[in-house]
Amino acid sequence: MGFLTDSLLSACLLIGSRDPELFFIIYVSLKVSFLSTFIASLAGVPAGFFIAFNEFRSKRVLITLLNTLLALPTVVVGLFVYAFLSRKGIFGTFDLLYTQKAIIIGQVILVIPIVTTFTLSAISRIDDRYRKTALTLGANAFQAAGIVFREARFGIVASMILAFGRVIAEVGISMMLGGNVKGFTRTMTTAMALEYDKGEFVLAVALGIVLLAVSFAMNVVFNYFQGKTGE
Amino acid sequence: MLYEIKTLRKVYDGRAVLDLESLHLERGKITGLLGPNGAGKTTLLEILAFLLRPTSGSVWFEGEEADFASSRIKHLRRKVVLVQQKPILFTTAVYKNLAFPLKIRKMGKKSRWAVIQELLDLVGMGEFAHARAHALSGGETQRIAIARALACFPEVILLDEPTSNVDMEHQITIERIIRSVNVAKGISVIFTTHNMMQASRLADETLFLLEGKLAQSVHENIFTGIIETDSEGSRYCLLPNGLKLAVNSDKVGPVRVSIDPAALKIGGTGQASLPDHAFRGKLIQVADEHGRVRATVDVGIPLSVLIPKESFKGLRVTLGEEVRLTCPPGCIEVL
Repeated sequence: MGFLTDSLLSACLLIGSRDPELFFIIYVSLKVSFLSTFIASLAGVPAGFFIAFNEFRSKRVLITLLNTLLALPTVVVGLFVYAFLSRKGIFGTFDLLYTQKAIIIGQVILVIPIVTTFTLSAISRIDDRYRKTALTLGANAFQAAGIVFREARFGIVASMILAFGRVIAEVGISMMLGGNVKGFTRTMTTAMALEYDKGEFVLAVALGIVLLAVSFAMNVVFNYFQGKTGE
Repeated sequence: MLYEIKTLRKVYDGRAVLDLESLHLERGKITGLLGPNGAGKTTLLEILAFLLRPTSGSVWFEGEEADFASSRIKHLRRKVVLVQQKPILFTTAVYKNLAFPLKIRKMGKKSRWAVIQELLDLVGMGEFAHARAHALSGGETQRIAIARALACFPEVILLDEPTSNVDMEHQITIERIIRSVNVAKGISVIFTTHNMMQASRLADETLFLLEGKLAQSVHENIFTGIIETDSEGSRYCLLPNGLKLAVNSDKVGPVRVSIDPAALKIGGTGQASLPDHAFRGKLIQVADEHGRVRATVDVGIPLSVLIPKESFKGLRVTLGEEVRLTCPPGCIEVL
């Protein structure tokens, strides 16, 4: 117990001292997580709409596949992307391995199924009369989708927050594709794993506190947004 | 001619919910589509609103054939507007709901507000502009939905059972709005209802739909029953309340029947025993209908009866009194 309180106290002091190394790790983590969530949303939200609004033969199979991919282990994604980005891989010439871009690529693959599935689920809960009403009022298909998006916005934003939570907390992809290079690709989770291996718990606990604070802040913003616009 | 429909069919899971050989609807009129639940009224309205693609057949609007597969359908869709049975208002303020079709039609902000105010006043909801749409009652929602539909400046407004979920006060208001929309704005109105009296009050022309087809005559008092044969070999139809009505039909088993309101007879209940084909019931509703009286008698199920005014006066019965209802053989038609 004494160890935990000591580490917690030292961690708070470290955060308070504005340690540059700590802040750079936080910056890298937030940057790659935001970018990967943003890119995954750009692909996943329209994909969710497409699947929800269209009837095609393999729809059920696709949904089952997406649901399966929700449980995708990060190390599997890491290994899979590594095969493409390593020197011998087909994208080896781009020299992406052990860069922040590599982490982003892996994380995007990891969370596209999350954004797609939860967007699809949020849209499916919206009564089809919203779309029909928009169409009869003169909207084109895109404007009608905008109405459905507006009605499903909390569910869709929640899917993005869920995706962000998954990428900021994952360690497998960041470690395998980023390489945990200090001052370059070291993220909060890879740094925590390293510090733990070294037996240096203070930085690990400090990063843990920041990780929880980020997650808390995201949810506060979401709830504020929901309260403001939830008419 | 506003609409022309030729050999139109809509099939769901192998079952034809709509099967119309030919239908013509005229411009500038109020047309009532009457029929029981499941008659295909909503399906027809959605096709007329160009929201639903028919399985086969053609729909012509103002001489132009609708091509449901083409993007040009949007151009036809913008000439008509559908107000659904339980209309959906977007989760925002009332005025933003009305602003949506205006925005789509690229109307400037200033002109938009004037139109919104005018339409809200037309439906008697002028003070509700800033109200939250989802906080409105059923009747208020229906009125705002009509105002929003009018913001599309349509040539035709299609109303799916506009008063089925509202109280009497809102019903009167909505009927007034429908008339005023038709007369003052010259908008053709097509509405569905299963209320015969409403159809006769509002519509210039009434069409009757039954099991997806246009019926020649107006069927009323429609019930699901079972035709059985008694020990003497006579056929009777057993209605849901246990009422047994003599029927001339070769069919047996579950059927849909219609009881002709003009063939039913009302009398006093002076006699202790009831003659054949007569039942005791309570007079629960009386209304004037084009020189005749439409009475509703509750015999376990409410039956609508049409009798000449003079005959009704001679009965000297008042609401709530017990009466004798005679259903002569042949008053039942198996549908």
